[in-house]
Amino acid sequence: MMAEEFEPKIVAFLCKWCSSAGSDLAGVSRMQYPPNVVPIQVMCSGSVSPLYILSAFNKGADGVLVSGCHPGDCHYIKGNYYARRRIALVKQLLEYIGLEPQRFQMSWVSAAEGTKYTEIIKDFVQELKPLGPQTKLRRAQ
Amino acid sequence: MVNLEDLKKEASAVLKDEKVKYVIGYQKSSNGLMPAPVFINKPEDVEKLIWNPTCIHNLTRFLTDERQRKIKEKHPDERPVGLIVKGCDSRALVVLLQEKLISREDVYIIGVSCENAGVVDEKKLAKKFKDKKIERIEFDEKDNIVVTTKDGKTKMAASEILAERCLECKANFPVIYDVLLGEKTKRQPENPFQSLEKIESLSEKERWDFWKEQLSKCIRCYACRSVCPMCYCDECVVDTINFAVTADTTAEEKAQKIKWLEKSPVLSENFVYHFIRAIHLAGRCIDCAECERVCPLDIPIRFLNKKLEKAAKELFDYDAGFDPDHPSLVASFRDEDPEDFIR
Repeated sequence: MMAEEFEPKIVAFLCKWCSSAGSDLAGVSRMQYPPNVVPIQVMCSGSVSPLYILSAFNKGADGVLVSGCHPGDCHYIKGNYYARRRIALVKQLLEYIGLEPQRFQMSWVSAAEGTKYTEIIKDFVQELKPLGPQTKLRRAQ
Repeated sequence: MVNLEDLKKEASAVLKDEKVKYVIGYQKSSNGLMPAPVFINKPEDVEKLIWNPTCIHNLTRFLTDERQRKIKEKHPDERPVGLIVKGCDSRALVVLLQEKLISREDVYIIGVSCENAGVVDEKKLAKKFKDKKIERIEFDEKDNIVVTTKDGKTKMAASEILAERCLECKANFPVIYDVLLGEKTKRQPENPFQSLEKIESLSEKERWDFWKEQLSKCIRCYACRSVCPMCYCDECVVDTINFAVTADTTAEEKAQKIKWLEKSPVLSENFVYHFIRAIHLAGRCIDCAECERVCPLDIPIRFLNKKLEKAAKELFDYDAGFDPDHPSLVASFRDEDPEDFIR
C-alpha cells in the first residue's frame, strides 16, 4: 500500500468583486484545479485583518492566500492599495519570525481571470506539498 | 547633559503662573537607583524633580489616563498637563497628536535634549556592577559615564551602558516642545537597525527556534500593553478571551466579541498576541523600549517592533513620530508601493 500523500489545506480570502468572481468563473467553466482551497469571501482585500490570517494559521491552515482586484480596479477605489501595504508588513513579520515564506501569499485576480486563479492554486499546492503540515503556529489539539 | 536647576526653574515657572494642572516628571524612588514618575502641582514641590541618565520612563503614557479622567469628570480642569519629555517621548507625543488622541492644547511640553547621551540600560548596569550598590550615575563634560559606588568612581564610555535604543536613536532631541532645554545636537547613528542584524542573519529555522523559545516564556501578564503609550484602546482585541458566552448571549454580542485566541499562555496563543500587538504598532512604535523593560521574563519584544519599523522605512520610506500632520502608515499608500511579492 502506498503512503497517502500530504494534502495541504489552504484558506483563501477572496474579495467579493474580483477574485471571488474569478474563482466562480473557474468553477462554471469547469476548469480543473486542486480541491485544497477553502474560499472565504470578504468584501474587499482591504478588509482582511491581519487577525484573520493569524487565526487561520492558528486553527491549522497550511497556507493562506489573500486575493483582491488589480490595482486601480478596486470596487472601493483604494481598498487594495491599503491591503498591499498591510499584507507586505504581515508577510515581513511572518518571515522574520521563521515561518516559511511560501505559506503566505497574495495575488491579484480579476473577475475574468479564472485561468489565472487555477494556476495560482495549482502552484500554491505544489509549493506547500514539500513543506509538510504547518505546525509552528498551530494550536495544539 | 541638561542642568537640573534649569529644569526645576522651568517647571516652577509654569506652576506659579498656573498655566498647567501639574507637571509630570521624575523623582527619586524608594527602589534604589531607578527613579519613579512624579506628579507635581505646587511650585515648592519642584525640589523633588531629578534628571539623570536613569530617567528611562516614557511619561506620555500618563496622557491616556489623563484623557480618561477628563471624560469622566463633570467640570474638568481644561488647563494643559506639563510633561517632561526626552527625544523618544516627544515622538510618542507626535504619534498621539497624529492620531488625534490628544490635541496640542492639552499638553505643555518641557523638552529635554539628550544631547550626545541617552539613558542607561538597567540590565547592562546590573551585569557590570553585579551586587555593588550604585549611588550615582552622571555624565562628565566629555559625555563619558561616571558611576559612583561605595568603592569609588568608575568612568567608562557611554556606549557601554547606554540602552541599545539610545545607540540607535534617530532624534536625540525633542521634535516638538514648548520649551527646550539643552542643545539640538543631531547624532546620526551609523545603522539605526544594527541590533536587528543578529536575528536577521540567522537562518529560517534558527529564527523560528529563537522566537519559539522567547515567546513560549510569555505568561501574558500584559505588562507590555499596560506600559505602552500607543496601546490606549478602551478594549483590546485580546480582552475578549474573558468574555463568557452563556445561553443569554445575543448573536450580536458573539459577533462583536470574537475570541481570536485562547486564554492559556502557550506558544500558539502567545504568538497571536505578540504578533497582533506588533502589527498594531507598525508605523506607530517610536522605540521607547518600555515593553522590553517591564517584561518580567526578558522577552526581547522590541525586536518585533523594530523589524516593522525597518520594514516601514525600507518599503514605504516612513518614519514614525516626526510630523503630526502626516497620515499614518497603514492609513495611506503610494502608487509605487512594492508589489513584487504579489502574483
